[in-house]
Amino acid sequence: MSSHPKLTARNVDVYYGPKQAIDDVSIEVDSGIVTAFIGPSGCGKSTFLRCFNRMNDTIPVARVTGTIELDGQDIYASGMDVVQLRARVGMVFQKPNPFPKSIFENIAYGPRIHGLSQNKAELEEIVERSLTRAGLWEEVKDRLSDAGTVLSGGQQQRLCIARAIAVSPEVILMDEPCSALDPIATARIEELIDELRENYAIVIVTHSMQQAARVSQRTAFFHLGAMVEYGETDEIFTNPREKRTQDYITGRYG
Amino acid sequence: MTDQVILARMEQRLAKRHAAERRFRLLGLGAIVLSMAFLVLLLFIMLKNGIGGLDWKFLTGSDSTDPANAGIWGAFKGSLWTMLVTLALSFPLGVLAAVYLEEFAPRNRWIDMVEVSINNLAAVPSIIFGLLGLAVFINTLHLPRSSPLVGGLTLALMTMPVIVIASRNAIKAVPPSIRDAALAIGASPVQTVVQHVVPLALPGILTGTIIGMARALGETAPLLMIGMRAFVATPPDGITAPSSVLPMQIFLWSDEIDAGFVQNTSAAIIVLLVFLLAMNGLAIYLRNRFEVKW
Repeated sequence: MSSHPKLTARNVDVYYGPKQAIDDVSIEVDSGIVTAFIGPSGCGKSTFLRCFNRMNDTIPVARVTGTIELDGQDIYASGMDVVQLRARVGMVFQKPNPFPKSIFENIAYGPRIHGLSQNKAELEEIVERSLTRAGLWEEVKDRLSDAGTVLSGGQQQRLCIARAIAVSPEVILMDEPCSALDPIATARIEELIDELRENYAIVIVTHSMQQAARVSQRTAFFHLGAMVEYGETDEIFTNPREKRTQDYITGRYG
Repeated sequence: MTDQVILARMEQRLAKRHAAERRFRLLGLGAIVLSMAFLVLLLFIMLKNGIGGLDWKFLTGSDSTDPANAGIWGAFKGSLWTMLVTLALSFPLGVLAAVYLEEFAPRNRWIDMVEVSINNLAAVPSIIFGLLGLAVFINTLHLPRSSPLVGGLTLALMTMPVIVIASRNAIKAVPPSIRDAALAIGASPVQTVVQHVVPLALPGILTGTIIGMARALGETAPLLMIGMRAFVATPPDGITAPSSVLPMQIFLWSDEIDAGFVQNTSAAIIVLLVFLLAMNGLAIYLRNRFEVKW
């Protein structure tokens, strides 16, 4: 699509033990837009998403083949430092998972372990900036020492987004970030995704086709471990090339 | 079937269900009353027999052939030293082993064997540990016989598997989402474990540790093997001095013919129970102190 994609996957297969979860998927993801992965449960979209920050490494039986590049650099190469990769490719999970520590500590943890701040003032600045960008600063600025876990579900998820932003990633992966949230909190997160997209490459896995249509510019449809179709979101939803895509988005299976 | 028939049948069944409910609750209550009754009885008998002997002289004195002069301080101090050695050794070893097994060990047959061995080790009769202590610490390493050092080392062998098992369960109970959160922000596996998983598992780890320590405190059999049943008339002033421990003192006094030692035995049991209660109290305090509210 563009000449310098942020993320490139070529012929990626993922196996869990003997079972193949992803079958020969190739895709290019650009910066500045939101890319949505849609498809029925168990189609492998989350598995594929977790390849981009090598979170599949934490599952002993998982095996990834093929190449995945971040700015042209193979992230599965032996010289790749996973710790650094995950600072560049942040992730937000399905269920909000703030650390059971203060709001401040939740944000400060990443910058601290990566050595991003020289002193306390800089750290405080990073915390404020991250929370502001995640649209949470006004709500929590007077109670930064409260536990992150006492916030509402939607606030917790924005805290997790702020935590990911705090280490200045280039890519943000979101694995069904709204599925545990009510419609109002969901709308708030969707607005946030739209605000953030110009500075990052955002990839979002979602069960909700409406959400994909609302927040993404490009959509990939997955089915049974394979990528069936990938294109402009408008095209996918109004004029899909594949019959399987059409069947899925019109609700004929799933 | 008419509505009346359905209702009547339901009502009939409902009475039975309520009765079953009541029976079950009564059974549970009975079980608690029975076990508490024995505890109360034990406390009552010990207090009745021993309270008269619990004076300042008894608390500050050491063992003596004369029951009127015999005191518990020497054995108490011996228990304290012994527990210190046990804790200093079994806590770090047990927690490290648990962390490694739970978070870092590869899944293979060797590790499975290690796991089975640790579980079995926790069930090995304590006298066997005493024999091991005798063979290794005294006969091979020539550490001072009947000292808190050897006693503590021997009890540490026994306590470690308990701590490993409790710590592993506590670590297992930490939600995987916390590990994901830390790893996804770029924490290394060791940072994830040390900075997130272990602090959250700490209340469980501490509870398990104190349960293991309480068991070690009451242990007599392995200490018999390493010579801690000797008559020691001076309180130990270090971990290498000859010493006795509380349960051993109780055992020794209970064997005495002189009637004066009956009171001493009961009084010593009271001291041991208070020590145990204090340790359990500490466990509860630490658990609440480190408990993270979600």
